[in-house]
Amino acid sequence: MKKHVILVLALLLTMVFGMSTLTTSTAHAATDSSLTKVQKKGTLVMGTSPDYPPYEFQATVHGKTKIVGMDVAVGEKIAKDLGVKLVVKSMSFDSLLVALQTGKVDMVISGMNPTAARKKSVDFTHTYYQGGYSIVINKNDKGIYKNKDSFVGKTIGAQTGSTMYNESKKQTSGTTVKGMTSVSDLILALQSHKIQGVAMEKPSAQAYVANNKELAAIPSDFNLNASDTSAAVAFKKGSSALVHAANKSVDQIKTQNLVNKTYLPAAGKYLKTNTVNTSMWHYWKAFLTGVEYTLIITVCSVFFGFILGVLLALARMGQGGVFRTGLRWLATAYVEFIRGTPMMVQVMFVYFGLGLIVNLPALTSGIIAISLNSGAYVAEYIRGGINSVDAGQTEAARSLGMSSGATMRYVILPQALKNIWPSLGNEFITLIKDSSIVSIIGVSELIFQSNIVRSDTYRGVAPIAVIMVLYFILTFTASRILNYFERRMQHD
Amino acid sequence: MTKPIIEVKNLAKNFGKNTVLKDITEDVMPGQVIVVIGPSGSGKSTFLRCLNLLETPTSGEVAFTGENLTTLDAKRVNELREQMGMVFQGFNLFPNMSVLENIKLAPMKVKGVDDKTATQRAHELLQQVNLDDHADAFPNSLSGGQAQRVAIARALAMDPKVMLFDEPTSALDPEMVGEVLNVMQDLANQGMTMVVVTHEMGFAKSVADQVWFMADGYIQETNTPDEFFSHPQTERAQDFLSKILI
Repeated sequence: MKKHVILVLALLLTMVFGMSTLTTSTAHAATDSSLTKVQKKGTLVMGTSPDYPPYEFQATVHGKTKIVGMDVAVGEKIAKDLGVKLVVKSMSFDSLLVALQTGKVDMVISGMNPTAARKKSVDFTHTYYQGGYSIVINKNDKGIYKNKDSFVGKTIGAQTGSTMYNESKKQTSGTTVKGMTSVSDLILALQSHKIQGVAMEKPSAQAYVANNKELAAIPSDFNLNASDTSAAVAFKKGSSALVHAANKSVDQIKTQNLVNKTYLPAAGKYLKTNTVNTSMWHYWKAFLTGVEYTLIITVCSVFFGFILGVLLALARMGQGGVFRTGLRWLATAYVEFIRGTPMMVQVMFVYFGLGLIVNLPALTSGIIAISLNSGAYVAEYIRGGINSVDAGQTEAARSLGMSSGATMRYVILPQALKNIWPSLGNEFITLIKDSSIVSIIGVSELIFQSNIVRSDTYRGVAPIAVIMVLYFILTFTASRILNYFERRMQHD
Repeated sequence: MTKPIIEVKNLAKNFGKNTVLKDITEDVMPGQVIVVIGPSGSGKSTFLRCLNLLETPTSGEVAFTGENLTTLDAKRVNELREQMGMVFQGFNLFPNMSVLENIKLAPMKVKGVDDKTATQRAHELLQQVNLDDHADAFPNSLSGGQAQRVAIARALAMDPKVMLFDEPTSALDPEMVGEVLNVMQDLANQGMTMVVVTHEMGFAKSVADQVWFMADGYIQETNTPDEFFSHPQTERAQDFLSKILI
């Protein structure tokens, strides 16, 4: 049992120390095996943040949600020309470049501008689309705002990590710039007058205005380089063979004007069908998937977290001997460290950091991260529960000739479990709620699904209300069930 | 000549700076009933708990059937502890198990006795302490006297060679003391070797082979009960006896 604790801790340590060497080595090692690697596995994984119509967004096609838009069409073209299958992976815009660097995705197409800063960390193809910026405002304010300079003393919003965000900061004075992760959140903030304008690319602005009668678009008049308003495909640094191959496709797209002629009109059609039915009932499947994943993550994490917690608690209570003292020290350090760092950071670390060593799917990473986190808390509950069992119980068991292990297993733990059951129940209910954190790495749990529905329907509040009710149903049901078992344990 | 079953040599025990046992050397012979009496805080319970190593002696030796417990590994100590049943002031029954399960646990988990044999033996022991009709009850539903009799049965289930009693009647209501002492007296009559820490002077008088009087970390006087209660040798014992009602 104790060996496993060491194993886990050792794994964590190698991870931390292994990181620095790996990040540098992978950057060089990939040179030009990039193309053959993709062709060998037969798939090209594209990362994108699907809340940016018409570049990329979710649409319901034949009852199934899928990611569509002009960027997906570009991705399909590249994949087809390489003779491989395109796989689209969605995640937040902030996470895209990290996902590329850590090999979670092969390329990023997400309306991304090939800026000088980004070029330092990734390789870009030629640009496949030249756009411009607009600012989306409420239609009623059309008389007040003309361009970027009209927002003195006001707030404009832009997607965090995007070029618009940086340029809005640089090129306005006296204007507050507010960053949010998703454009649908920004539009919601605009409609509830938290902000007065949203800076975004022209095609996106047009799509939003076309789908929402209360919005209007004004020119931004930002001073921009061509590279700041163009979109290109990003690949991992050093994969020049892959970039070279993709450039052939991109050049064809350019010369045949495929974006304006084919891709944008196709995306526009999805946008129209999308806005036909914005009732929440229409999206019950999306919400159901969310509930399903939230439950999978919670149940698995509670299970593994409990096992880890028991091992950690026993390690923390070990007495005497160099080995046991070392183990106790390690377990204490682990618990303190995990409790002293945010779960969000832990989730990202497991997905991106551990991803350098083994390629774990987002769901698995999420479950691992939350189990590791929960284990630290459960360990403390269990330690408290064990300590609350009267010392006389141990003495009685030992006086009967039982070993310390048998005493723990047959006498102390069963009684401790009864004491800690309410705390474990609370942990379970907390995890139902906290599992929402894994939405940042793209696991389709409730929060993630609600974001999809929001960007799909352009309705900001309704999906939030729906998941609020769903979360409550989950936690309330869970607490009833736990209470039932708690009462059953009180027989003695 | 028979060998002593328990040999204590120069036993001392400190808790931090507090010295509880100073220097104790005594033997217990097979079949003997020893009653340890003395004022509160004189180290009686600590002495008893050193005999089965629930407390680790600071210095000195405790040998059981010729083996020095203080030098043995944990496994051997566990094996020898099986042969030394212990009964506590606070009963220490396992509250999450029925009376029967309390008695069966150690024989099954430590000795590997099968369920049927363990159950049968548990019922025999419960009959011996007059509680067979409570086999399926849980400890919290028992009176103190009943709980202590179950605790005795539980200790006997391991077929010990010695029984250690740590103030077995101190936590009981007065009307329940008798039923526990009767069980202990029966045990003594059957020839069980017993070391009993108690304040029950009547029990000491009628059942003990020897009374050990303990005070200030030493065993001050060992004597037959008749001699001890009628002609205590030491001033410390005379003083103690003058303060209690007999």
